Amino acid sequence: MVLEVEIDREVCMGSGNCIYEAPGAFALDDDTIAFVADASAASEEKIIAAARKCPTHAITVRRDNETSP
Amino acid sequence: MTDFAGVNFFADRAVQDDPYEYFDWVRAQGPVWQEPRYGVFMITGHPEAMEVYGDPATFPTNDTASGTFSSCNAVSGPFVKFSEPVEGDDISEVITKCRHELPFSDQLPSFDPPNHTDHRHLLMRLITPKRLKENESFMWEYADRLIDRFVDTGSCELVGDYAEPFTLTVIADLEGVPEADHSLFRQRLSTAHEKIDHKPLEFLYERFSEYIEDRRQTPRDDILSGLATATFPDGSMPEVTDAALIAANLFAGGQETTVRLLSFALRMLAERPDLQQLVRADRDRIPNFIEETLRIESPLRTQFRMARVRTKLGTVEVPAGGTVMLVPGACNRDPRVFDDPHEFDIERPNARQHVGFGHGIHTCAGAPLARAEGRVTVNQFLDRTSEITISEAEHGASDSRRYDYLPTFFLRGLRSLHLELTPAS
Repeated sequence: MVLEVEIDREVCMGSGNCIYEAPGAFALDDDTIAFVADASAASEEKIIAAARKCPTHAITVRRDNETSP
Repeated sequence: MTDFAGVNFFADRAVQDDPYEYFDWVRAQGPVWQEPRYGVFMITGHPEAMEVYGDPATFPTNDTASGTFSSCNAVSGPFVKFSEPVEGDDISEVITKCRHELPFSDQLPSFDPPNHTDHRHLLMRLITPKRLKENESFMWEYADRLIDRFVDTGSCELVGDYAEPFTLTVIADLEGVPEADHSLFRQRLSTAHEKIDHKPLEFLYERFSEYIEDRRQTPRDDILSGLATATFPDGSMPEVTDAALIAANLFAGGQETTVRLLSFALRMLAERPDLQQLVRADRDRIPNFIEETLRIESPLRTQFRMARVRTKLGTVEVPAGGTVMLVPGACNRDPRVFDDPHEFDIERPNARQHVGFGHGIHTCAGAPLARAEGRVTVNQFLDRTSEITISEAEHGASDSRRYDYLPTFFLRGLRSLHLELTPAS
């Protein structure tokens, strides 16, 4: 199953942690707010690490409609 | 090469003034290295630091004793010990029982999950790039007003004339701290570091508790109101003192460090006319200029962790209770991650991977504010001048500069920066 990845852009603080943890999957826009660039560009393990290490818990990862990182 | 084997990192002034050759030497001993004097495990390698910063990663599981490392000593450092003996391969219980004995134990950086997660949640949405953009006009205006005071005299002392009043007033405005209290805070905060009280910020907490009470009665459009009305993840309302503590941490935490960032940024512009020209002509370079400044001169010099259980970092065994010291300024010059690490490269593609703000769940909550303050300051100084140079009368000729650095092991910063300014015509 492919993970469904979302970022709450109201909550994101632009730390860039997700870009380090899962290169290619996330990127920062001109306002330094993160967005999902390509969820298939990094392994599930890395995307889950990005969610768990996000300082504002702005990243949600879902599989089969369940939040389960 | 200097003999660094006998250096006391915590006290040696020569290394405090110019630490980078020493950091390279330490990293050559090993990116994780137990310094012999106090037995502290120094982290000077970037990947190794990321491993420590990344622990614990707790979301959404929020177990009490998760993770290999505790942040209980994050601010207090290696010299304060628990009253109970630290023995065995798992000291979680001692940490839980004794963590309140450590200085700064009441501050957010010293918390572990789930307490940390709950309290950090109170700050959610309050300091984000989006929110700051809405409040940025005050920053621009106030920077302009401060520069007005000295630009026509042709010189300034950046730290006292600009950076200190700027950082204090900007966070005060954002939070909603009344102007009448600003000078009191300025006075008390400047001496707070001199005495290692158990709770050196007590006076702030009292005043901030009053603000929070007031905002619970009559909310306004400021961060204090946001904190006063914020709830824990389970929906419950924090005690007034809990919210006041976060508000006070935020107020105090961002000033000293941001002052150092601003002075390093301006020093870089003044020392390097070529860079100054480049940035003057193309302001879009400013964000990466700020990141590279944070990388090459990280204001936060040390952060600490305590191993909760016996573990291995890289190839080094760390016993339970071992003190781990993260050294951002050293990790940010790790040649395995940053090519030609001692060069300031304004086009460095991975400058933003510096750990000047930490990484993981404890990432500096004020980072978006510091970045905005840096961007606004550099822009305004360039707008209001046609040239910025170092005062040779104060700092010596270009081949024999003298700079005075803070004499501490937890901050890296200039005590003063005298600049000469040519006002823009």
